[in-house]
Formats: sequence, C-alpha cells, structure tokens
Amino acid sequence: MLNAEQDIPDEVPLISKPFTVYTALELLLPTKLNIPGLWNFFLLNDVVGDNFSIRLSLTVFPYNSFDTAGRTEIIELIAMDLSLANNSSSPRPRWRKVAYGGMQPGYDDNHTDESFLEGMVMNASVVKRDMLKVMLDSVSISEYLCIVALVVLVWTCTLTTTIDENSLLFIDVSLLVSGFLILLFTQEMLSLSLLLHYVLNISFFITVLYVLAPIYQTLTRSISSDSIWAVAASLLVLHLFLHDYSESTVKAPGVLKNPALTSCISVNASVVASVFIASRLPSRLHVFGIMLFSLQVFLFAPLVTYCIKKYSFRMHLCFSISLMAMTLSFVYMLHRLLFVVLLSLLVFVNVVCPYWLIRIQEYKFEINGPWDEAKLCFDITD
Amino acid sequence: MYYHSSFLLNFTTFFNTATISFSFLVACNRYVIMMDDSPPQKHRVLMVSDFYYPNFGGVENHVYYLSQCLLKLGHKVVVVTHAYGKRSGVRYMTGGLKVYYVPWRPFFNQSTFPTLYGVLPIIRTILIRERITVVHGHQTFSTLCHDALLNARIMGYKVVFTDHSLHGFGDVGSIHMNKVMQFTLADVSQAICVSHTSKENTVLRSGLAPEKVFVIPNAVDTAMFKPSLDRPSGSEIVIVIISRLVYRKGADLLVEVIPEVCRLHPNVRFIIGGDGPKRVRLEEMREKHSLFDRVDLLGAVPHTQVRSVLISGHIFLTCSLTEAFCMAILEAASCGLLTVSTRVGGVPEVLPDDMVVLAEPDPGDIVQAIQTAISMLPKIDPQVMHDRMRELYNWHDVAKRTEIVYDRALKCPNQSLLECLSRYLSCGAWAGKLFCLVMILSFLFWHLLELWQPADDIEEVPDVIFSKNCDEDTSQKS
Repeated sequence: MLNAEQDIPDEVPLISKPFTVYTALELLLPTKLNIPGLWNFFLLNDVVGDNFSIRLSLTVFPYNSFDTAGRTEIIELIAMDLSLANNSSSPRPRWRKVAYGGMQPGYDDNHTDESFLEGMVMNASVVKRDMLKVMLDSVSISEYLCIVALVVLVWTCTLTTTIDENSLLFIDVSLLVSGFLILLFTQEMLSLSLLLHYVLNISFFITVLYVLAPIYQTLTRSISSDSIWAVAASLLVLHLFLHDYSESTVKAPGVLKNPALTSCISVNASVVASVFIASRLPSRLHVFGIMLFSLQVFLFAPLVTYCIKKYSFRMHLCFSISLMAMTLSFVYMLHRLLFVVLLSLLVFVNVVCPYWLIRIQEYKFEINGPWDEAKLCFDITD
Repeated sequence: MYYHSSFLLNFTTFFNTATISFSFLVACNRYVIMMDDSPPQKHRVLMVSDFYYPNFGGVENHVYYLSQCLLKLGHKVVVVTHAYGKRSGVRYMTGGLKVYYVPWRPFFNQSTFPTLYGVLPIIRTILIRERITVVHGHQTFSTLCHDALLNARIMGYKVVFTDHSLHGFGDVGSIHMNKVMQFTLADVSQAICVSHTSKENTVLRSGLAPEKVFVIPNAVDTAMFKPSLDRPSGSEIVIVIISRLVYRKGADLLVEVIPEVCRLHPNVRFIIGGDGPKRVRLEEMREKHSLFDRVDLLGAVPHTQVRSVLISGHIFLTCSLTEAFCMAILEAASCGLLTVSTRVGGVPEVLPDDMVVLAEPDPGDIVQAIQTAISMLPKIDPQVMHDRMRELYNWHDVAKRTEIVYDRALKCPNQSLLECLSRYLSCGAWAGKLFCLVMILSFLFWHLLELWQPADDIEEVPDVIFSKNCDEDTSQKS
C-alpha cells in the first residue's frame, strides 16, 4: 500500500484559504504519481474542484487539518476513484463525450452535458415554397385531368353515336400528325433514322391493333354495361391517382431511366379501361378507332405535354389553359353537373391544394444529426 | 453428500419441465444449492432479446457477456430468446446461465412475429418461476423484447431497456419503429444506450427524460483477442476488413477505395472477411483492376476465427455508413491493429484519437486516412495497444455499471394502472388511445391468466449457484 509519510514532500504549502477536499487531494496526487511538473502546476493554479466534494458529501476543510492517517486515507480514495494517470494534463476531470475508459470520475452514467444534442440540426434541407410557383407547377396536373376528361367525352359521344367511325378515324389521324409534329419541333435531335424509327413503330402498332379489334369487340359481351362502366371509372381514377405527373412514362428514345412501378400500373389501368369501353361498341371500325384514340392519348399525351413543358414553360401554360377552356366548354354542353364537378376539381387542384401545402409548411419538422445514415457522394451503378 | 442428493432431486424436477444440456457440468464437480438466502441487493434479472447465441453479433455478445459478469457479481440472470432451429427449450450455458429458447419461429430478420399478448403466458410463468425482479430488454428490432417489456410492465415489474442501434427520422420504417419505441419506453424504468450519440438519438425518438438514459458502452473480451506473438514482418502491409458486405456497412465505399489504395501503395494487400449482396461488386472490382493477388475475399468468417484473420493484418478498415458503437473496432484494437474508420454515429467515441484514424464517408478522405495510418504504423506496438484496451474496456466494469442502473430502476416508485395509462395517452392523438387500449387488454388478459393459473400454483425454481470458479477448484484439487 501507499506510504503517505514517505510520499508527501516536507515543505507542504501553507495555504490559508480553505480548500475543498478535492484540491487537497490534488496537492497530494502529483507526489504520488511522481510528476514534478504537475506539482508546480498545482501550486500555481488555485484549483477548486466542486464535483468531487459534492460526491463525497464532505464540506470544506483547510488542508492542514489532515493528519498523516487522514492523508493516507485520501490517497487511497484517489487510488480508487480517480484514474488521472492517463490524462495528467488536465488536473480536474472534465466530462468528455467518449465511451472508453469506464465510468468517468465524478460523473454518473446518466450525466447529461451541455453538449447534449449539440449536433442536432433542424429543418436543414427544407425548401421554402412560393405560392405562385406551386400554383404554376400544379397546372400540369389539371392539364392531364382535362386530357382524361376529353377522352371520356369522346367515349360517351361514340357510345351515343354522336361521332361516327369516319370522324373518329379523322380525329385519330389528326392527333397522330399533330403529336408527331410537336415532338419533332420540341426535340432537338431531328434525324431521318429517328423519323423512320417512329414511323415503323407506329405502323406496326396500328396494324396489330386493327387485327386485334374483333377480339376486343367480343371480349366482354357476357358482362353487363353497368359493370363495365363502373370498372372503367374506377380504373380511370386509379390511373389518375398513380399517374407520374412530373415526367412521362413512355420515354423518348435514348433515355436510360426505367419508369417506376406505380406509373406502369397507371398506364396499364388506362389501357384496360379503354379495352372495356371499346368492347361496348357496335362495329369493328368503331372499336379500332376508339382503341387507337385512347392508346394514343394515354401513352403519348404525357410525352407530348412533357416535351412542350421542357421546350417552353410559357407555351406549356398557354396550351394547358386553352385545353382547360376547351374541356370545360365541351363538358358544359354535355352536362351541367359534370361541368360543376370538373370546375371545382380544377379549382381544388390549382388553388386550394397549393394554399394548403403552403399553410402546412410551417408544421414541417425535420431532424438531422450524427446518428443519420451517411449518404454516399457518388452513384452506385449496379 | 447432502448437497449431492438434494441436487439430484431437483435434477429430476428439471427434467420434467425442460430439456437440459449438462455436458459442461462434467468439468465442475462441486455444486452448492442455496435456498433463498441471498442478500436483498442482489438482483434477479431476466434478459429478453430475439438476438442471442447461436447467432453472433453486437447484441448477442453484449447479452452473453453482461449475463456472465452479472452472474459473477452474484446476481441471478435468466435469458429468454426465441428458438433457433432445433435449439428449443431450456439450456444452460457457461457459469450456469439459464437460457429459455421459447419455441417460436422467427419470421423476419431473426425476429418473432409481434403478437402483443402471445408471449404473456410464458413470460408470466418464467417471471414467477424464476422470481424475477428486473426485466432487461435488448435491441429495438427485437419484437420479443417489446412484447415482453410491455407485459412485464403491466405486471408491475421494473423494466430496463438497452438500445443498440441508431435510427433516422426520415423514412416510413423509422417513423413506425420510433412510434413503437415511444410506446415501449413510455413506461420503462431506466434505459441504457451504448454510446452518447445513441443516447441523443434515443432521447429524441422516445421522448424519455435524458436523466433516465444511461450510457454504458459495449466491451471486448480482451482475453479472446490477443495480438499474435510473431507479427507478420516484411515490407508488406495488410489491411483487414471484416463486416457484412451490405450497403449500410459501406461496401460501396470499399469498391472505390481499394483500387485507389492499391495504386498508391504497391506493398498493400487487402483481406476481406464477410459475405453479403455486395460481394459481387467487390469481385467485379477485383476483376476490373486485376487485383487477384492483392485482394483476398474470404467469405463469411465464423466468430471463432475472427481473431486469426485479424492478427494477419496491420490495419483494420471499416467503412460503415451508420453505427451506434461498432464492436469490430474494439476487437481489432484489442488484437493490436490500427483502425481506420468512417466518422459516423458513435464511432468517434469508441477509441482515443491516437488509436484510430477517422475519415468522412467519402472515398478520397478514406484513402487519405489509410495513408495517414500507414505512416503511423511504425510507431504502433500491438502489445501496448492490447494492454491499453484492457484498461479501457472491461465487461466486469460494464456489469458493475449496469448493476447501478438496476438499483435505480428498483428505486422507481410503483405506479397504478391509471397513472401508466395517462402516460400512454400523452404519446399521441391517435397512437396514445391505441396504446391505452393495448395496455388495458393486456391488463385484462393478465387477470384472466391469474384466475386460470394462479401464481401460487406455479412452481418456483430453486436457485442453483455454482461455486464461483469451478476450474480453480478442480485445479487446486489436482
């Protein structure tokens, strides 16, 4: 064991000021550890530790009141409680945010330092949104809503024989040509091979559709029209709900990225809906015309509107607004109630939802900190 | 003589209830049976976790070593986990550690299906049979732990929870997990985290008061991880990587880092232990840069062979993207390896600055850190490193600190059901009411069980305390 008398130097500093036990301990400590530099340090610095005295629940003593036995006891206490040998540079144990070295002297394991939650960052990546910008962005949603409404309009007109098969085919051809022209003008890469590629694909597509038309016509003969309408309506709602409004599912050639699963489901839902509707029609040519029309719109309209939007936002805006006006007027002619429903839907999408989004922005609460999974700064190409 | 006969009596009763593997008993030739005269401050702890031996990992090790050291301190420890393959029923491990393998199959990621009330009957029986005072659950992902803690709380037991992992706040999975955590921890007596970062995370996620959360790190069995006596000499520098090869462990960073380091230092060789979905990418990298002679892919390394892999290297590299504590670093440092790690989660707290080189999770920075480590290498003495680790980390110290937490937990006042319910109600507008409903149902189910199988009818297990050091005794006799 330690021999206190031997270790304590002869000239004990006479300090009149009352010391806490801890300070007295520190005065003894350097001699015990045989570090002369520290000894000087303690003499120069009047260090008063508070934590230790509180922990031992001892009050303030003058140093000289310890007798030899007392000193021995204190040294033993140090030997038990303090492991200052490792960090001899700091005489007073400061709490450190480390896990090693066992329980930190003077601090319980549930000690909560001022540095607690220092690394927490709140709302670091939150973007403040502008009402006008959100409204303009939502125009593309209402644009697509109008496109779907127009398709439904054409369906009902064909079913009620307001449009005959010849005008239907005329609509198809004009849509195909105008869509084609828009694609050619908005996309920079205009080449003969690309043109040939498009023409070849579309002619193949049309041929197959024409061959399959009789099958579509008799596909759901045994099912009642009410069920078909109900299923078609719910499929269209599903289509609208899952549709990828930011991009187009059918990509321009040369794009690597694959579409998401939800947008694929959306496209399939719309195709199935158009097959169901086509099966209610009287003649083969009707079926062919309506199928071609629906597929053209559902597959290629997103691509066309996307190209317009990419080409010029102003053009996109003009196109959308004229489309909306057109749809609303057509629907008004068809049915008053439907007009009201569509109008309120457009107002909801374009005005109420953006306002709502801006309002709930203030509840946004994002927490980041050192516990977050690190993000890789490069792309992983599997 | 008396001891032996009474032991045999008990032995038969044991056999009626469960299967026991007693092979280890051959080594010990003296048992002492103590009948309920242990001093009052000794705890009777039930450790609950889905993660336990025969699996290996941070949580499994923690539970095992903590239990062993608590046993040595004179506490009674019983472990409950789910069945692993044919390992079902009651088993005994080293030092008389009793393990209940509850016969439920894991359904996802080694976790049992969350049933809320399914575990109540068996947990209640175990709690009464073993006269448990403290229930200690481990790991957020363990559904068995959540279920057991919930039911133990309703039965009025003191509950301690240890969190071993970090969670974000962004994705759907984390939000769900955090709500479950809030539910479990709303009524927990004390909680333990493995690092200060983990404590911050847990406090934020569960809304627990910071004073209730203790930081007690993992430790390492330094006796198992000793540096080799003859260190691989020569100019070659071997960098060892042992981790599961998955995204979260930063396998993609390795793919970028390894070719660059090999290009800069022609005398560096890599040994990669571990398996996972990203192994293919590493193999591709090796092929692309033709590094067949410089990158060894060992595949999965059994835990018993980790040391032999570690001691064949000079530098240990870990590129994890998130880590609450990282025990692998401790094992490597204990083997005398210099560690290079990413600065994520609780990793900066694990080792003193001169024993680890930290880098941001970015390939360039990691390459630079490896270069720093290579330049530091001549100054590193594995034996000195090992000795320092022995000072820094010790399972006995962990057990002593956990003991304090148990003491605190037992001092927590008992609360009536109504007080608990009010606490649960404050957990959220909808979630709060749901939690209350779950607790009330649990309470009713518990009382039903009390009627069906009264606590008095459940036989209590006599405590078998094996004399402290069987091996010492045998060696003294011989």
